[in-house]
Amino acid sequence: MKKNNLFKFICLTPVIVYAILLILLPLVYILFLSFCESDSYGGIIYHFTLSNYFTIFDITYVKIFLKSSLIALSSTFLCILISYPFSIFLRDKSEKTRNLMIKLVMVPFLTNSLIRTYGWIVLLRKTGIINSALINLNIIDHPLNLMYNNLGIVIGMTYTLLPFMILPVSSAVFKIDQSLIEAARDLGAGPISIFRKIIVPETISGVFNGSLMVFIPAIGYFFIADILGGGKAMIIGNLIKNQFLTARNWPLGSAISIFLIIVTFGLVQIYKKLGGKLDDLGGM
Amino acid sequence: MKNKVFKNIFIAFVFLFLYLPIIILVLYSFNSSKMNIIFEHFTLDWYKNLFDNRELLMAFFNTMLIAITSTVISTVVGVIGAVGLKKYNFPFKNLINNLLYIPIVIPEIVLGISLLSIYTLMKLELGLFTIILSHIAFSIPFVVVSVRSTLNDRLKTYEEAAHDLGASNFKTFFKITLPQIKPGAVSGAILAFTLSLDDVVISYFTAGPGSNTLPLKIYSIIKTGITPDVNALTTLMLLVTIIVLTTTAFIQGRKIMEAAK
Amino acid sequence: MKKVIVLMIVIFLLSGCSSGSSYKGVVNVLNWTSYIPDNVIKDFEDEYNIKVNYGTYSSNEELLAKISSSKEGTYDVIFPSDYMVELLISKGLLQKIDKNKLSNSVNVDRTFLNQTYDMSNDYSLPFLSTIVVMAVNRNHLKDNISSYNDLLNEKYKNNIVLIDDQRIIIGMALLAKGYDMNDTNIYHLDEAKEWLLDLKDNVKAYDSDSPKTFFITEEADIGIMWHAEAEIAKEENPNIEIIYPSEGHAISTDNYTIVKGAKNINNAYLFINYLMRKEVALKITEEYPYISPLKITQKSKVSVDHVFSKGFYVKNIGLDIKNYDKLWADIK
Repeated sequence: MKKNNLFKFICLTPVIVYAILLILLPLVYILFLSFCESDSYGGIIYHFTLSNYFTIFDITYVKIFLKSSLIALSSTFLCILISYPFSIFLRDKSEKTRNLMIKLVMVPFLTNSLIRTYGWIVLLRKTGIINSALINLNIIDHPLNLMYNNLGIVIGMTYTLLPFMILPVSSAVFKIDQSLIEAARDLGAGPISIFRKIIVPETISGVFNGSLMVFIPAIGYFFIADILGGGKAMIIGNLIKNQFLTARNWPLGSAISIFLIIVTFGLVQIYKKLGGKLDDLGGM
Repeated sequence: MKNKVFKNIFIAFVFLFLYLPIIILVLYSFNSSKMNIIFEHFTLDWYKNLFDNRELLMAFFNTMLIAITSTVISTVVGVIGAVGLKKYNFPFKNLINNLLYIPIVIPEIVLGISLLSIYTLMKLELGLFTIILSHIAFSIPFVVVSVRSTLNDRLKTYEEAAHDLGASNFKTFFKITLPQIKPGAVSGAILAFTLSLDDVVISYFTAGPGSNTLPLKIYSIIKTGITPDVNALTTLMLLVTIIVLTTTAFIQGRKIMEAAK
Repeated sequence: MKKVIVLMIVIFLLSGCSSGSSYKGVVNVLNWTSYIPDNVIKDFEDEYNIKVNYGTYSSNEELLAKISSSKEGTYDVIFPSDYMVELLISKGLLQKIDKNKLSNSVNVDRTFLNQTYDMSNDYSLPFLSTIVVMAVNRNHLKDNISSYNDLLNEKYKNNIVLIDDQRIIIGMALLAKGYDMNDTNIYHLDEAKEWLLDLKDNVKAYDSDSPKTFFITEEADIGIMWHAEAEIAKEENPNIEIIYPSEGHAISTDNYTIVKGAKNINNAYLFINYLMRKEVALKITEEYPYISPLKITQKSKVSVDHVFSKGFYVKNIGLDIKNYDKLWADIK
């Protein structure tokens, strides 16, 4: 019996200590900070206030939340738009090809994401490869503004986060029973109604899984907004980063973070309602 | 027939989208121009220069050290933790289970600033140690989830059988449990390693002097224009990963073939 | 797994060897990105056998955050700008500099000393200065541009790149409106905000690290940037004209300072004294054409008189910074 306890102790202690010290404690601390005041130079005054929470509902910040959500939603939508047909078309291939293709989707993500973002600068800028090619082919006269705007950010986010959509969507699409689709086809259903009546309902939790894994990082990846957005558009990630590193207002930054956590938990609840499992979120 | 062509073209376009920046990166590592703007002519100089760029090599070294250390620690803690959490009941088990999902779902930046805040509160010196700690913080849950997917009821029966035959907990763990959950542990470890290797956001907040990582180094020079020796380094890293991946796939494939005989 | 652990131990051992045996000391330096050429650092390391741990930041606020959130003794030498020197002194984060230990401080031009942010240079000595200028690509734009207000012209849609620095850009708007660069009057700030919103459509990007890249790749034709950046851009693209705005300009001087509780004080003095050698300053300004406060032949083509006659330092404005911060979020 004693040995049994020792084994239990060894297994559980590290993970419990970890969960408390590196997850619970930091979050409780920023919750605490979000109710503090800041002095002008980055110091924290331990005096209870709700003002940080009022501040984030100021029109200035609400606008940033809306813009950031719009950018993240557009990226999520684009990811869905690519992943669905991609997965459905791959469904016809043999299992071996399918597995290979999914592995190939992952390979680019083993290289540094900043370097890949830099690759997009080379492609998208005014004198970049895409513009030069279009001008040389006489398709356009003047270079298009493909980056240093919201479009650049959306392209960057979609690119960086696409595999997080392709993986859950394709695995859901591959799981659909072929006989179901054939039965519908025999009954005279066209591709559109098969998609609407069978594929969508069968894959909705996979799509929502992917959407969570795309949308949530997309409101926080400040480096993509910096590099491809030209520093013009602030997304929530930049806002939090600025509060911690430039505006020296940690309490406000903490309040925004707490707000984000609440939004995230709300989205996860919806996901669970749709029949999604929490364990599937981390599985790549 | 037409339909099929269209489908294949679409798939090809998705792969073009995914690989275009990588192709650019590899191409420019052989470009004689320093500016990454126009392609002049072929050269291997950047691969030679790479070994003189001390700061870049140091950053690479730090990145590997952080990734290996944090992967080993989070894999060990994650594996035994997942087993323990499945097997035993204890007060607040639900709380711990739910806490483990938090690093997976919340935005990285929130985890980054909350870790920064707590390090500041505890007066921990920012540096390699805090980065490793932070990488452990976001890696463990991925390992736990990955291992948990391999902990099924059949395994429980095996464990009980081993127990009945008089095997100790430790013996059961090493002889029965570990071999069964190995695939989950390996994929969790690979995931932890890649996440660590590429992390920008969390390292950005928790790095200190002399602890520049490769992603941070690249972030600081990206706007000035990356010099092709950085391209060369990432090309080499990519090459190594591809070789590792294909050989493991090959070995696995052979094992399956042999088993089939 | 065993192999991984072995590999880890090997790496640990290697790292122990490389840092332990070859240097007799270290100095922990935190400096701006692209400011001191690598070979200047390497020469110092070879000459004194002291390793330089070099970290970087891209804004004064980032520096402050790093200094105030890290344990005392983490950093030795830092290079804050003027207003940040004043702030760091007031927060008690710097220590006094003993000029007797800096024999090369005789090389400093007196014009740069005794500035408002550190009246008798007890805590700081100037390292490099620069001012804000306008840069125009004459290949594409022939217009007469002399004032900040000329930037509002609708013709320049999506064609201007600005430094990503809220005090400098809001200060520019205040100067354009005829106010003081450090004005905190909320009505004046509102006017500045309107001015910046008018400008917004013309802005291609905000970039503090390298606005010059936009000129080299001809991505933008007008830039508000540091003079040194503009000169680098001009070297690459000779069609660039540098214009000194009629309303005046922001000056920025970065300074040598030693952090309170620094662990390697002697090495810090050696490092600063080394950087104050004339030949080292020449090497630095050769690569990055800032204005050196040392009595050397400047590579930079702006006269020291012009720097100070129409220049203003960014000053600390206390809690009013929150209004600036909000204004900044409004225009982005």
